Amino acid sequence: MTQAPLISGRSLTKVYGHLIALRDANLAVMPGEARGLVGSNGAGKSTLIKILTGATAPTRGAVEVAGEAAPLGDPKEMIRRGVACIYQHANLAPAMSVMDNLFLGRQPRQRFGLLDRARQRREALDLLERHGVDLDLDAAVGALPTVQQKEVEILKALALDARVILMDEPTAWLAASEVAKLHATIRTLKAGGVGVVYISHVLDEIFALCDTLTIMRDGCVVAENTVAAIDRPTVVHLMVGEKLARESDEAARQKRRARGSGEVRLRASNLAKRGVFKDVSFDLYAGEIFCITGLIGSKRTELVRTLFGSESFDSGSLEVDGRPAAFSSPSRAIARGIGFVPEDRRREGLMLEMTVTENLAMAMLDRFRQGFMLRRGRMVEAGRKAISSLSIQPPDGTKPVNLLSGGNQQKVLVGKWLNRAPRILILDEPTVGVDVGAKAEIYAILRRERDRGAAVLVVSSDLEEVMTLADRIGVMVAGRLVAVHDAEAVQMDEIVREIGMETA
Amino acid sequence: MAEYIKGWAGRRTFLKGMALGSAALASAGTALLGDRSVDGLGVARAWADGSRHKMAFIQWQPHTVPAAWSKGIEDVLKPQQVIDYELLDGQNKVEVQASLMDTLISQGASVIFLQPIDSVALAPSIAKAKRAGIAVITLNIDATEPHAAHVEMNHYYGAMDIAKAMGDHMGGKGKVAILNAPPGIIIRDQRTNGFVDGLKKYHPQIEVVADQVADWDRKKAQDVLHTILAAHPDLGGVYGVNDSMALGAVDVAKEKGLIGKLVIFGNDGEVAALESIENGELTGTQYTDVYQQGRLAAAAATVLATGGVPATAFAHQSHLLMPYIIATKDNVGSIQPSQRW
Amino acid sequence: MTLRPATAALIFFFAATVAFFCLTAPRFATATNAENLMSGFSFAAILAMGEAFPILARGIDLSIGAIVGVVGMVVFDLTQILHLPGYVILPAALVTGAVAGVINGVLIVRLRLSPFIATLATLAAFRGFVYAISGRQLVPGLTTTPITDPWITGLETYFDLGGALGLTNFIAMPWFPLSFFLMLALFAIFQTLALATRFGRDLYSVGGNAEAARLAGVNVNRTVVAAYAIAGFSAAVAALIMVARFTTSTEALGTGAELTAIAAAVIGGVSFSGGIGSMFGPALGAFLLGAVLLGLTLMGVPQFVQQIITGLILLAAVGYDRLMALARQRRLASNLAEAA
Repeated sequence: MTQAPLISGRSLTKVYGHLIALRDANLAVMPGEARGLVGSNGAGKSTLIKILTGATAPTRGAVEVAGEAAPLGDPKEMIRRGVACIYQHANLAPAMSVMDNLFLGRQPRQRFGLLDRARQRREALDLLERHGVDLDLDAAVGALPTVQQKEVEILKALALDARVILMDEPTAWLAASEVAKLHATIRTLKAGGVGVVYISHVLDEIFALCDTLTIMRDGCVVAENTVAAIDRPTVVHLMVGEKLARESDEAARQKRRARGSGEVRLRASNLAKRGVFKDVSFDLYAGEIFCITGLIGSKRTELVRTLFGSESFDSGSLEVDGRPAAFSSPSRAIARGIGFVPEDRRREGLMLEMTVTENLAMAMLDRFRQGFMLRRGRMVEAGRKAISSLSIQPPDGTKPVNLLSGGNQQKVLVGKWLNRAPRILILDEPTVGVDVGAKAEIYAILRRERDRGAAVLVVSSDLEEVMTLADRIGVMVAGRLVAVHDAEAVQMDEIVREIGMETA
Repeated sequence: MAEYIKGWAGRRTFLKGMALGSAALASAGTALLGDRSVDGLGVARAWADGSRHKMAFIQWQPHTVPAAWSKGIEDVLKPQQVIDYELLDGQNKVEVQASLMDTLISQGASVIFLQPIDSVALAPSIAKAKRAGIAVITLNIDATEPHAAHVEMNHYYGAMDIAKAMGDHMGGKGKVAILNAPPGIIIRDQRTNGFVDGLKKYHPQIEVVADQVADWDRKKAQDVLHTILAAHPDLGGVYGVNDSMALGAVDVAKEKGLIGKLVIFGNDGEVAALESIENGELTGTQYTDVYQQGRLAAAAATVLATGGVPATAFAHQSHLLMPYIIATKDNVGSIQPSQRW
Repeated sequence: MTLRPATAALIFFFAATVAFFCLTAPRFATATNAENLMSGFSFAAILAMGEAFPILARGIDLSIGAIVGVVGMVVFDLTQILHLPGYVILPAALVTGAVAGVINGVLIVRLRLSPFIATLATLAAFRGFVYAISGRQLVPGLTTTPITDPWITGLETYFDLGGALGLTNFIAMPWFPLSFFLMLALFAIFQTLALATRFGRDLYSVGGNAEAARLAGVNVNRTVVAAYAIAGFSAAVAALIMVARFTTSTEALGTGAELTAIAAAVIGGVSFSGGIGSMFGPALGAFLLGAVLLGLTLMGVPQFVQQIITGLILLAAVGYDRLMALARQRRLASNLAEAA
C-alpha cells in the first residue's frame, strides 16, 4: 500500500547562530494517522512543527505535501495546501472578535471586494454547531477565558478543512471535558482521512490517542514506532537518553539531602498574586537543592521573582531566616543574602558589552570600593579566581561576555552571585541553551554551593535535570504548587503525570 | 470586554441619545445665535456709537522686533480708552496665522496688525478681512493682496545710504562682501538691491566680490566670512543684511585683528549692534526706532477706527516708510536708552 | 456594530466642549465660527485619519507633516515653474504622497527599522528635500506670485448650502468649504476600507498580533506598506487643500502637523498597541482640538495656555488608552487564574 504521506519532512535541519535546534529530522504522516511527537524541552519539537507549517524556513532539508515539493517558510502556501496548525502560544488577535479570528486572513468577500459579513456569520455559526462549541462570535477574543481562547484556536484550525493538522500542546489549558471533546474530534478527523501530529508532555494522552510515535532528543529524532509496540518507561528513557539516563540514575543514587541541614532558610506560606499564582507554601532548607518543575506557563518564574523582590505578591507571607520578609526591591533581597540568576541571561542578567571581569564583579562592587574609588586591581584579582574556580572558557577576564558560548555565559552569571556567597541562591532555568559539558559543570557548582551550606532553589522544565540535581522536587501546575517530593522517594513517571495533571 | 460591551448596550442607546441630543442642541444654538459676515460699512457704523474697538497684532513668532512693535502699538492704543488690544503668535505657521485672522474677523475686529510669515499665503486671509471691512496694517513684510497700510523699515533707501556711508569710510574704493539672508524673502531683496544700487550711484569704484548666504545667523556669518577672507584677503568692507550677521563679521574681524581696517555695516539697529558701534568694533548700522514703528502703525489704526473708515474705502494700499539714521560712532550717542531694542 | 465606550465618550466630550464654549466664548455660537472650524481644521481631520492607518498597524508615522511639505512644494513647482495644467498636477500630487508613504513602509519592512526611527529619519529627509526643490528659492520672483490654476484654487470653494436649501430664511448658516466635503468623502472611503474589506481586517490583525496574522497567511509586509502609503496619500490631499487655501506653498508647510495628527488619532481612540480604533474618532478628535483652540482664542486665553490645555487633553486621552490597555491585560491574567 504505497500511499503518499499527507506531509513529509526530510533531513530537516535548523540552526540559530550557534544553536542547532534541529538536526536531520524526518517526519511523515499518512492519511488517517495520528502521530504523537514527544521529547523534553528544547528537543526540537516546536521547531519541527514550525518548519512543517511554514512558520520558519529550515536551514537545510525539504518538505513535501501529498508528494509535491512545498515552498519553505511560507505560511500562506502551506495553508493553501491543506496544512493547519494549532500553535502552542497565543496565536490570536486579542482585540478582534471571535468571528474575525476564526477567519483570520481569509474572510469571505462579495463582488466588489467588500467583506461578505452575512456569509461569514453563517459559516461561523455552522462551524460552531458542527463541533458542538458555544462561543459568542462578537466577543473580543482577548476578553475570553483562556479555555475559550484555546477553543477558538482549535476551531480556527479545524475551519480550514485541512488534510493535515499539527497540534502543539493543544490541551495545555483545557479542562478534562474539553480534552475529551478534542480527542473525539481528532478521532472523527482520523476516520475522515485527515492526518494529525500531536505534541504533548502528557504521555497518557499520547498512548490513548495516537497510532504512532516519534521521539526527539537534543534536536534529533531518536526513535519512531507504533504506540502499540512501545511502553512508557522506554519512551521516557529514549526522551532522556541512555547515557544521561544512566548518569541521572547514578546521580540519583548519590545521597540526596532532602531538607539539608534541617535549618529553614526561607518559608513561603500561602503566597498568592492575583491572577498569577496562589496557595504556594513550601520550606527551603540550608544545604539542599530544591527544584520546582512544571509546564511552561505554570508561573514558576513569576513566583521566584516575588521571592527575590523584583515583583510583589498580594497575600500570604514570606520568612527569611525566621524573620518576616517583604522585599520591595531586589536590593533589599540581596542585602538579606539572596541571589537570583534569571531566566533570560542575555536580557536580564549580563551586561553583554562588558567584560567577564566586570560582569563577575557587578553584584558586589561595594567590596571593591575604597573611599570613592573602585580598586580595579582587586576586581581583576577576584575575577581571576572566579574564572578558574568555574572553569570559564576562554579564561580571559578582558573578553566581552557576549563572545562567550552560552554555557560559559551562564557560568559567568552564576559566578556573579557566587562571589557574594549568598545564603539563598535562586536560579531560573539555569541550563537552557547550555551544552552538555557546561551543564554538568554547572550542576557541580550548584552542588558545591549546597555543600557550602547555601539553600539552592532551581526552577527547571528539564525533567532529567530535575531528577539529576534535586534533593527535593516541587511541582507547579497553572500557578499552584500541587506537590512536593523527596527526590529519593519519587519516580520520574509520577512527576510527569503530575505535571500533565489537569486541574478540576 | 464581552460583558463590558454587553452592559453598555442598554446604556449605550441612552448615551448615544444624550450625545446626539446635546450635539443637536449645540448646533441649533449655533445657527440661531449666529450672524453671518458683517458688511464693511456695518462694522464702522457699529463702532461709531462709542462702543469698544478690537485690535490685534499677529506676529510671525516671538522675537525682539515684533515684541518692540507690540510695545509701541500698546503705548498708543491704550490711552485711547476705547480700544482692546491683543498680541497673538503665529507660531511660525501660516495655518495658525490664517486661523487667527479668521477668528479675528468673526469677532468683528476693526484693525488687524499683521507680520505675514509669507506674502502670498496670507493674501486670501487679508482679502477676507477687507471684505468684512477690517483694515489690515502690515509691518515690514508686505502681502500681495492690497490692504489698508504697510509700514516698513526703509529697507531699500536705507540700504542705499548704508552703501554711501560704507564707501565714504572706505575712501571710495576697494572690495566689499555681502553676508545675506536665504533667498525668497522680500526684505532681503530690498536691502540687497538698495545696497548694490547705492554703490553704483555713490561709489562706482567699489566692487562687490562676494554675496553669500549666512541665514540671518551670527555663527553662520563667521564661517562664511572666513571663507570669503581666504579668497579675498584684501577685503575692505562687509555688509551684513542684518545685525546678527554683521556682528558675526565683527567677531571674525576681532579674531584676525582687522578692527579698524575692515569696514563693517549691519542693518536693523539692535541694542547689541549699537553697543558694538560704541565700542568701536562695528562701523555702523541702519537704526530704526522699532517702538516708533509700532506707535506710528497704531496711530494710523486709531485714526481709521475712530474715524469710521472701513477697509473698503481705500483706493489703494498706503505705504509708510520709517525714518532712520545710519548710526556710526559719531551719532550713536544720540539714540536714547529707551529707544534701544 | 457596537459603539465602543471610547467613541461614545469622545462624542459626549465633543458635544460638552461645544456646549461649554457656546455659553462662555463670545461669538463661538456663530455661523462664521462654524465655518472657521470647518475651513481651518478639515485638513487636520484628513491627516488624523491618514495617521490612523500606521498606528492601527502598531506603527507610527512621524513624517506625515513633512510629506505635506513635499507635496505642497511639488505642486508649487509644477504649476509655477513648469506651468503644467491643474488636472495633471492633482493626480501627480496624490501619487507623490503615496510614493513617500511607500518609502516609509519599505524602510520599515525591508530594513526592519522601528517605525519611530524610520519615520523620524524620513521626517528630516523629506523636509530637507522640500528645501532642495523649493521653487521659491530657485526663482526668487515666485515668492510674490500666487498660484492661479483654477483646478488648484478651485479646491478653496465655499458652498452656500443654506441659501440653496432655503434655510437662510430661518437661521443663519455657515458656508461649507469644499475641504469639508473632501474630508467627508475620505472618511467614507477610509472607513469602508478599514471595516468592510479584507485589507482592513488584515490591517487590524497585523496590528493586533502580527505573528498570528503572518501564520494565518496574511501578507504582513504588503499590509504595512499599504498603511503607510495611505498615510502619505492623505497627506497629499491635506497639502492640496492647504496650497489652495494659501495660493502658495512654503518650505515650512506642514511642520508640526504630525503632532496634531497623532494627538487627534489618539484622542479619537486609536490605540498605540495596535488593532483598535476606526476613522470616526480621529476625524472628530481633530475637530475637537480645533473647537478648543477656536473657543479659547475667542475667550482671549493666551496662546501658551491653549497649548497647555491641548497637551492636557492629549494626556487624558493617552492615559485613558493606557488604562484600557492595562484593564485588558488584567482581564487576560484573571482569565488565566480562572482556568487554574
